Amino acid sequence: MSTERVLFAFVIVLALTLNVGFVVGDFSDIAHHNVYELFAALVVSLIATVMKFGDRTPLGSTMLATSLVADLQLIAAAATWGFYSSATVVLATHQSATVVSLAVGAVVANVVSVVLLIIEMANLRR
Amino acid sequence: MMIPSPRARHGIFILLRRLRQPMQALILVYAVAVLGFTLIPGVDPQGEPWKMSFLHAFYFVSFLGTTIGLGEIPFPFSDAQRLWATASIYGTVVAWLYAIGSLFNVLQDPLFRRIQHENKAERAVRRLKQPFYLLCGYDDAGNRVARELTDDGTRLVVVDADQLRVDAVDVDDLSITVPALCGDASDPATMLLAGLTNGHCAGVLALTGDDTINTKIALTANLLNPDVPILCAAHDHAFHGRMAAAGADYIINPNDQFAERVGISMRTPSLHVIYESLTTQSGTAMDKAPELPRGRWVLCGSDLFTRTLNRQLKRLEIETIVIDPRLPEGKEDEGHVRGDPHDPDVLREAGLEDAAALVAGADTDIDNLSITLAARAINKSLFIIARQTQRRNTPLFRVCGADLVTLSGYVIAAEVLRVIRAPQLATFLRRARGEDEVWASALLKRMHDVIGKEVVESWSIEISPAEAETACEGLTRGEVVTLRHLMTRESGRSRLVHAVPLLFQRGTERELLPDVDQPLKLGDRILFCGDAQARATMRLNLSDYRLPLLYGRTEPRRAPPEPAVETPPK
Repeated sequence: MSTERVLFAFVIVLALTLNVGFVVGDFSDIAHHNVYELFAALVVSLIATVMKFGDRTPLGSTMLATSLVADLQLIAAAATWGFYSSATVVLATHQSATVVSLAVGAVVANVVSVVLLIIEMANLRR
Repeated sequence: MMIPSPRARHGIFILLRRLRQPMQALILVYAVAVLGFTLIPGVDPQGEPWKMSFLHAFYFVSFLGTTIGLGEIPFPFSDAQRLWATASIYGTVVAWLYAIGSLFNVLQDPLFRRIQHENKAERAVRRLKQPFYLLCGYDDAGNRVARELTDDGTRLVVVDADQLRVDAVDVDDLSITVPALCGDASDPATMLLAGLTNGHCAGVLALTGDDTINTKIALTANLLNPDVPILCAAHDHAFHGRMAAAGADYIINPNDQFAERVGISMRTPSLHVIYESLTTQSGTAMDKAPELPRGRWVLCGSDLFTRTLNRQLKRLEIETIVIDPRLPEGKEDEGHVRGDPHDPDVLREAGLEDAAALVAGADTDIDNLSITLAARAINKSLFIIARQTQRRNTPLFRVCGADLVTLSGYVIAAEVLRVIRAPQLATFLRRARGEDEVWASALLKRMHDVIGKEVVESWSIEISPAEAETACEGLTRGEVVTLRHLMTRESGRSRLVHAVPLLFQRGTERELLPDVDQPLKLGDRILFCGDAQARATMRLNLSDYRLPLLYGRTEPRRAPPEPAVETPPK
């Protein structure tokens, strides 16, 4: 067991859990979704991306790619939210659905990332 | 899609890996600062409590961290916000400087720059879509070869271990952009990077100053790309065998070349004129041979240059005295004096006062210049040959009073260019060396009669469908095609063009000065010399029209524009 491995796995799983936590709830009602949770998910996802930098194995490259996808989706979600809230105080149904569905996309990418992490760990055992 | 080479990926990943920590630090510091601003309450102008949104917080932190500092937005800050802003300034600015500093650090890193340089060279080589020569070593010889070849429009790739010389490739203003790679040419990886196994690689020129490295280059090239011709420069005879075994197709020894030229101009002056007229761009058959004195020669120097020349002169039965500063004790005899050739007493002791020629052949230019000056002071009528080793000293040699200056880099370059431009010419010249003055003067007289005062050109013809369409057509019909057919002007029935066939090659069989009635076969190669007009006429005979005497009565395939026959070559 190494601290580095623990930290790596921790950050990647945390990115997924925060992301799921944000998404869970009524899509159309923005009151079910916490802006701080989205912020945390984005920051953790960015850190997870940077941690995957420089890994030259095929698995490592795929993980980096999934992480970049998650970042892109979360940044899009945050930017849309910021853009919508500049016009109105409370987001309309369609607007909140857009924000949350973008974050849902990030969930998928994060799930793939975690699966790849598990595959890598399983390979290490052998 | 272009798949990046392993090395190309390497560079990016090194960059990313080195930036891992600074970027994590930057993200964390930013996140904390942004979060703080969204949580800390402020007061708006109406006195109502107010909290910054994420958008504003991120905007504010962004210009805070980059030290742009646009001010307190959207409303003036409360004390609590200012406190947090102060803390954020220190945090974010330090994180920024750390990240930017690391980025520049990686970009400046020698390893990263080296990878970038290799990637750039590799990309440039991959983009070459024409045949190119792989030139290893860019000193005097390499520089001259590169200049002449690029002037011809030939592509090159340069490899040199010295960064200064690689930079010189860019500075030298060659007429074509030449990819240059800084690396050890004896390392196969470098050669592969420089395109050794690229399908367009037309030849490897091993012109580094080091015989061992040249041998290694020949070996690498021969093993990794057996089809590619290899030219090797060698200074030491001991390496000739090794290079040949390693697979070098041509071995060029500047000392041998020079001694050979001296030998030719003494033994067969006519051949020297032929040689010069064929190999220089402006030579004619009317040029005069240089008159080298046949009296006693004094040779100064202790390395292979002097020894090779001495051996050549001995063969010509010319009396020589070698002044060798490094001659071992007790080795002095009639032909060898030990001593410093700068010393007038030593020069006098070697009998310079009544000698006919002096060769300043030490291995440094300064020595040779001072020997030249010292010798000239003793004997005004002396014929002085000075050996130059570095091109940058040319202005000094030009005024030092030597009658002949030889620069080994140029000797190598001239030979390399000869082999590349007209491979058959090298064969002809090698063969012709074996002939005597009677033969040479007869050939020179023939060249006088046929070519006259015109500038002599030389060209090769191969009887192949690509080069000699008409001749091949004739051959497939079973007709007898001879050199005379190729050399006859279409209009003038029996008048031959102003050209002399020099060499006839069929397989490994070689014949000097073939008869004009020599019947031809597919695959024959013939070397001609002649004037520009003859060359143009022959080119037309071979490609555009039917051979004149062969189908005397038939119409030309295309109506020949009347003056076309007279056009000079491209």
